[in-house]
Amino acid sequence: MLEFTINGEKHQADVPPDMPLLWVLRDVLGMTGTKFGCGIAQCGACTVHLDGVAVRSCQLPAGRVGDRAITTIEGVGNTPAGAKIQKAWIDLEVIQCGYCQPGQIMSAAALLASNPAPDDSDIDAAMAGNICRCGTYVRIREGIKHAARS
Amino acid sequence: MRRTLLLLAGAILVLIAAIIGRMVFQPGPYSFAGGTEVDLASYPNGAALTGVPAELASTDPRARAEYVTRMADCEACHTAKGGKPFAGGRPFVLPFGTIYTPNITPDPETGIGKWTDAQFLKAVHQGIAPDGTRFYPAFPYASYTMLTDADVLAIKSYLFSLPPVKQANKSNTFGFPFNQRWLMGIWSSFFNSDRRFRPIRERDAAWNRGAYLVEAAGHCGECHTPRNLMQAMDQHNKFAGGQAEGWNAYNITGDRTSGIGGWSDAEIAAYLSTGHAPGRGVASGPMSEAVGLSLSKLTPSDIAAIVTYLRTVPAIRSDRLPQPAGPAPASPKLASIDNPVGKRMFEGNCASCHAWTGAGAIFDEARLTGVRSVNDPTAANVASMILNGAGQPGTGRPYMPSFAAAYSDAEVAAVANYVTARFGAKGSSITPKEVAELRRN
Repeated sequence: MLEFTINGEKHQADVPPDMPLLWVLRDVLGMTGTKFGCGIAQCGACTVHLDGVAVRSCQLPAGRVGDRAITTIEGVGNTPAGAKIQKAWIDLEVIQCGYCQPGQIMSAAALLASNPAPDDSDIDAAMAGNICRCGTYVRIREGIKHAARS
Repeated sequence: MRRTLLLLAGAILVLIAAIIGRMVFQPGPYSFAGGTEVDLASYPNGAALTGVPAELASTDPRARAEYVTRMADCEACHTAKGGKPFAGGRPFVLPFGTIYTPNITPDPETGIGKWTDAQFLKAVHQGIAPDGTRFYPAFPYASYTMLTDADVLAIKSYLFSLPPVKQANKSNTFGFPFNQRWLMGIWSSFFNSDRRFRPIRERDAAWNRGAYLVEAAGHCGECHTPRNLMQAMDQHNKFAGGQAEGWNAYNITGDRTSGIGGWSDAEIAAYLSTGHAPGRGVASGPMSEAVGLSLSKLTPSDIAAIVTYLRTVPAIRSDRLPQPAGPAPASPKLASIDNPVGKRMFEGNCASCHAWTGAGAIFDEARLTGVRSVNDPTAANVASMILNGAGQPGTGRPYMPSFAAAYSDAEVAAVANYVTARFGAKGSSITPKEVAELRRN
């Protein structure tokens, strides 16, 4: 039995330690906001925070989470940076189909929390691993800057 | 004047003879240890140094034969990518052409089903096929020659217990003079001792078992010892680092900077049995096969014996491998690296697992800091890793995809050079042409 702290709440899951955290979140705990994209840490759709750092949950074995606090898209709105990013996303209508957006928001919130005024190159470095099939990259960049200004 | 010329010519001849002599007359693989070599029979419980370890002595004969076959890791070379195990067909691209491993399943027509015990022994110990033709030393008979008859025949019995696979051998593409197999007879007379393993009396059983596993069965030196002009293992530079299919097989001597002298026993054991030790990188390329098909199947006592033996190999410094660099800064911006293509590749493909510091963002296996491949100024292993990836997806083990199909030679070279510049001590300047060469392996 593994124990996790997710969005401030304790959860237990009877899962093998090599099961990816993404499967635990979606299939065992029913938290389906975090998305499965590629399964090989190449698209960013499954991004969550571990102690505030953006991490690809599809490649993270559940047994290696330890006592680090997990934040998912369901809870990121309760963090100051996450709330700013979500508001900017709504203000600028960043989302098109939306599938990648939980991951985009998680990466953007982690960036903003560590760097309150990111420039284009900072945004590239933090966001290039999050792929958007609809090509909303221009609005994502604007959204991050909008959130930083707010 | 004439006398001076004669003296000079004489001196040059002596020098050439000395160089050839040094190349041709090699020390034994474990003569560094000193002491007295004795017959297995005169070493206390000498038979236990060979075959399976004591804890497996009472398992069934087929399991024991399989264990010995794993010790010698026949499967890695005798299996083509995606092919049937032991059916051969795996290409090795060498400077003289491409050689394909043969089918060693018991199929009577295309495999070794008709071979007698004596023929199999002669092949493995002497590199001579039943029809008298010579094998190339890509088949490591210069190491296997140290295996006992009993162990070689155990391998044969295991191979003969497998289902026969009908798969014709491919002929190699060597040109003249390398297609003259009889020349390997001359090679063997210098470089294959054709002598079975003899323990060192003054060393304990763990060391001697380790010597047998490393030198005879595991044939570690075939990749980790550099080769001389005659393509024989240069035992003067034992385990100082060689090459395998485009990958650098690193120094595994006791040198603290370029070898494994700074590794703890537990780190070496973990690396060998699982392919990873925290902060030491992951076994990749041919070494990942050695771990997956052979070393990971060995008992803890055998892994410990290998560690015991490796610990005694004299340290040799590889000058081209510097002291590894420490962690990279957390900030992606580094004015010292002018490589925009490499940076763009890294941020899109690599940073989410490896992190900008190189500490590894998800698991320790992805840590780049301190790992030898990123501190190797040839970048051969970094580029090979990018081309080949590592592991299998969906196994619960860390996995890195292959980027060979997604990116051009120039892009792979750019990101490899970015990685060595950001995380390594020296940086590299691998070229697209060199990446193209690595793709051929």
